Amino acid sequence: MSKLILCLLVAAFAWGQDARQIVEEVQRRSRSGSEHYEGSLEVVNARGKITAKRWLYDRIGSHGNSKAVLRFTAPPEVKGVALLIVNHPDRASDQWMWTPALERDRRIALQDRRTRFFGTDFSFEDLEERDVGQYDYSLLGEEMAGGAACWKIESRPKQSKSSQYDRSILWVRKDRYVFWRIENYLKDRLVRRATYGDLQEVQSIWTARTVEMADLRENSRTILKLEKLEYNVPMKDEGFTLQALRRESR
Amino acid sequence: MILLRLLSWPYLRKHVLRWSLTVAGIVMGVGLLVAMHSANQAVLASFGTTVGRIAGAAELQISAGDFGFDEEVLERVQAAPEVRVAVPVVEAVADTGIKGQGNLLILGVDMTGDRSLRDYDLESGDQAIIDDPLVFLAQPDSLMVAKEFAERNHLEIDSRIPLQTAHGTKYFTIRGIMRSGGLGKAFGGNLAVMDVYAAQKVFGRGRRFDRIDVGVKEGVPVEQCRAALARALGPGFDIAPPSASREHFEAMLSAYSMSMNVSSMFALIIGMFIIYNSFAIAVTQRRPEIGILRALGATRAQVRMLFLGEAAVAGTIGSLLGIGAGALMARGIAMYVGGFTSQIYGVKQALDEVAIDPRIIVAGLLLGIATSLLAAWIPARSAARVDPVQALQKGKYQVLSAGEGSLRRRAAALAAILSAVCLWLGRSNLVFYAGYALAVLTALLLAPMVALWVTRMIRPALRWLRPVEGALAADSLIQSPRRTSATVSALMLSIAMVVGFGGVSASIYLSVTEWIEKTLNPDLYVEASEWLASYSWTLPGTAGADIERVEGVEQAQMVRSARTLYHGVPVMVVAIEVAKLAQKVHSRPIAGDSREMYKLTAAGQGAMISDSFAGLRGVGLGDTLELGTPSGMLRLPVVGIRRDFSDQQGTVLIDRSVYQRWWKDDRTNIIRVYLKPGADPAVVKARILERFAGQRVFVLFNKEVRQYILRVTDQWFAMTYTQAGIAILIAVLGIVNTLTVSITDRRRELGVLQAVGGLRRQIRHTVWIEAVTIGLVGVVLGLAFGALNLYYTLEMTRRTFAGIALDYTYPGPLAGLLALLVLGAALVASLGPAEQAVRGSLVEALEYE
Repeated sequence: MSKLILCLLVAAFAWGQDARQIVEEVQRRSRSGSEHYEGSLEVVNARGKITAKRWLYDRIGSHGNSKAVLRFTAPPEVKGVALLIVNHPDRASDQWMWTPALERDRRIALQDRRTRFFGTDFSFEDLEERDVGQYDYSLLGEEMAGGAACWKIESRPKQSKSSQYDRSILWVRKDRYVFWRIENYLKDRLVRRATYGDLQEVQSIWTARTVEMADLRENSRTILKLEKLEYNVPMKDEGFTLQALRRESR
Repeated sequence: MILLRLLSWPYLRKHVLRWSLTVAGIVMGVGLLVAMHSANQAVLASFGTTVGRIAGAAELQISAGDFGFDEEVLERVQAAPEVRVAVPVVEAVADTGIKGQGNLLILGVDMTGDRSLRDYDLESGDQAIIDDPLVFLAQPDSLMVAKEFAERNHLEIDSRIPLQTAHGTKYFTIRGIMRSGGLGKAFGGNLAVMDVYAAQKVFGRGRRFDRIDVGVKEGVPVEQCRAALARALGPGFDIAPPSASREHFEAMLSAYSMSMNVSSMFALIIGMFIIYNSFAIAVTQRRPEIGILRALGATRAQVRMLFLGEAAVAGTIGSLLGIGAGALMARGIAMYVGGFTSQIYGVKQALDEVAIDPRIIVAGLLLGIATSLLAAWIPARSAARVDPVQALQKGKYQVLSAGEGSLRRRAAALAAILSAVCLWLGRSNLVFYAGYALAVLTALLLAPMVALWVTRMIRPALRWLRPVEGALAADSLIQSPRRTSATVSALMLSIAMVVGFGGVSASIYLSVTEWIEKTLNPDLYVEASEWLASYSWTLPGTAGADIERVEGVEQAQMVRSARTLYHGVPVMVVAIEVAKLAQKVHSRPIAGDSREMYKLTAAGQGAMISDSFAGLRGVGLGDTLELGTPSGMLRLPVVGIRRDFSDQQGTVLIDRSVYQRWWKDDRTNIIRVYLKPGADPAVVKARILERFAGQRVFVLFNKEVRQYILRVTDQWFAMTYTQAGIAILIAVLGIVNTLTVSITDRRRELGVLQAVGGLRRQIRHTVWIEAVTIGLVGVVLGLAFGALNLYYTLEMTRRTFAGIALDYTYPGPLAGLLALLVLGAALVASLGPAEQAVRGSLVEALEYE
């Protein structure tokens, strides 16, 4: 009896701890020194119209303390536009944008992080690296999802963290420690749903090569595909500065 | 009510013309008031609506006058924890070049954050590439226009339109169409949105913003956010809700609005005299009727109420017609005032609609009725006091009693003494205006007596001119002063008002002309905008040196002028190369040593202010002037006071180096160009234009700038003159009214004249002379009181409107013209009544009464 009680106590303790540990483990397993891919993005609006974009993505540094450069390559109207993103572990990222037609950079103010990321269904907040420490987690249970066993975890932003969402439900594949789905709620209404697909192991890191974000209020969705993905590519820190952004985008 | 129906209605039907004229006085007074007020409100509302629509959900706006500020301010604002979102804005008014479409208000915004403040409510979302802000940002020719504008010009997505930019005419692509309503309706729909950084480039703003719109973080009081931003940014920034812009505009318009209100009130007072006149005459004519009524048992109160009832009806009808007329006039006036304010103040607004405020309808109605009742009060009281026996003795009532004359004289003396005391003690505006009102009261109290004296004085002259007709006309006026006194008073007030305003405008013209002669003496002006009131178009700081390299140019003085807030009021700051200015401009200062003040200002150790600034802001020589700048509070001693008409709210002149240092800006909006002796201005102008080919540069000859300033001065006074004209018209209506009554009143007398052999021609001449004499007496009194009124108007201008002590210059030519105009109008006004006098049946005339 006492063993049973002990087991139940341990299980209850573990149940509360597991949720955070699971998310931390997801983050740990996806960690890499750098990353490079060619991204393609399709926005399908409520009327079925598709808008496509392509870009090159380079990241240096580890999770929460990284720098990234995103250079648009298509369509022609946006070719040459580049973004420099500097992520911080304790605050929102800093972002600058280079527009070749104006030959100038501009700081992108992300005070209102609800803003859609350049017409896609991702908000700027959705694209930020989630800092595990700024959320409370609770394990809701386990269920089969996307053909695999998943943990179902609820995350709520801590008081100190401002977020457009009240809570999110995360599905984490038990076999690979990667997200299968994230559902974001606002006032108990599901507003955005991200689904991760085409799971592949790239240089020992299990990565979803496709992310589909659906905006359920706008009835539109955005499909992001990661092509030619490489991790731990040699990169120099100088390549992630405003000067480099200006220089290389000319 | 029964008395009204039984007695007043038949009388009214019998004297339709006179009642129409009486009511016309109220119609014009109320109409003018409603029209002016509605027009002013429409212009203000239009400005407020444009500001409100453009501001969207912004709770605070940060600006630094018209100068704008450096981009780095944005990061300081965004860093404030109380701020939810802060987005930069650049605004410009650009000519579309599309026929009939005029200017487009361009709102340059940062689309990455702006949509959380403004709802663009996009048309045809599937086509609007604006849904993808990346394309909008990546392509600097992107433009989003309002649906109204698109429809008017048959524009759709991907259409291209030309726009005047700092680099000449450029074509822009429509990448979004905003639906009607909200932002899309701002500036009358002539609104376009573009990327703020593209706007900086195409409008030559450098790396500066005009404004930052701020959304406050949820749960943070707006005032707390404002205070936090004020601490973070320092004193050079105006941080206020969007509605404050309307207040600043209202402050700029206050002088104009007040002068409009003063002349509207004058018109109404003049209208009041017409009503008084009509009722006084009606009481005189209906004395037998009143006598019978009293004999039959009607109480004094009933008789008084009968006349007041008639006055109320006349007031109501007049007011209603006035409100209708005012509503009709309002739009035209609003268009004028709107255009005028845009030209003078460079304000971005477009008139949407002119709505008549229900409150002004009620106010107009009440004012019209109250004026009518007030004007009819004395005649009604006189009617109530009619003695039934005396009522049959026609004519005597028209004579002013000795007791009444004495009472008037004493009252006038008291009012005059009080008025003088007020003037002597009149440091406060309230006491000054009380003194002014007492001066008007003195003139009104004295008017009947003075009119009588003047008529007696000119009687010999009239008799000499026309022995029979002249004497008859003069005697008619002398015997019945009550009949004419109100008309004379109305004329006196009208003429005095015109003399007052005319005198002020003459003084201002003289001063402006002198200022133009001494200060605006460059041969050419190079500007970034052909619109001289625009301060947002600029040229780079290198433009001065470029111009000095042009053959034929001796010197180029770079000027950066724009409005900024001084203690909450927009004033003009003129930053100029003072050392160069001192070489070319030699005007006598109002206060300060001429050499020293230029020397100190050029060295950045002082500032010169205009006399209007000194007067309106209470700043004197030696005082320390505090100007908020983006770099902090600039404190400079006032080293000189000079006349400057650059801005009505006052001007501060500093050296360009001070501006560059404190505002961190080296741009210029005006370059004053002096040519070498013998150089042909037209040739040099062509050379300058050639040097700046492909850029937005306008070169104006000195004469063109002078003409522009004088044209603006004319516009300033045009509306006042219109009002004065209407006041004269009302007074002339009074003459017609008086003469009509005079003829009716004297039908028996005129009939007897004809019966004993008087010729029709003689009767006509009598009426004409009588009319011209009324006009002449009015002119004499008006021109005399005008001399005093001019003093008060100049003082009013100094205290309230312009802050400048203008020279007292009696407008002689205007007075002469006015005299001719009134006498001519009086003669014309007499034609109808004269014909009425000679064409009536002799038998009926002899039977009259």
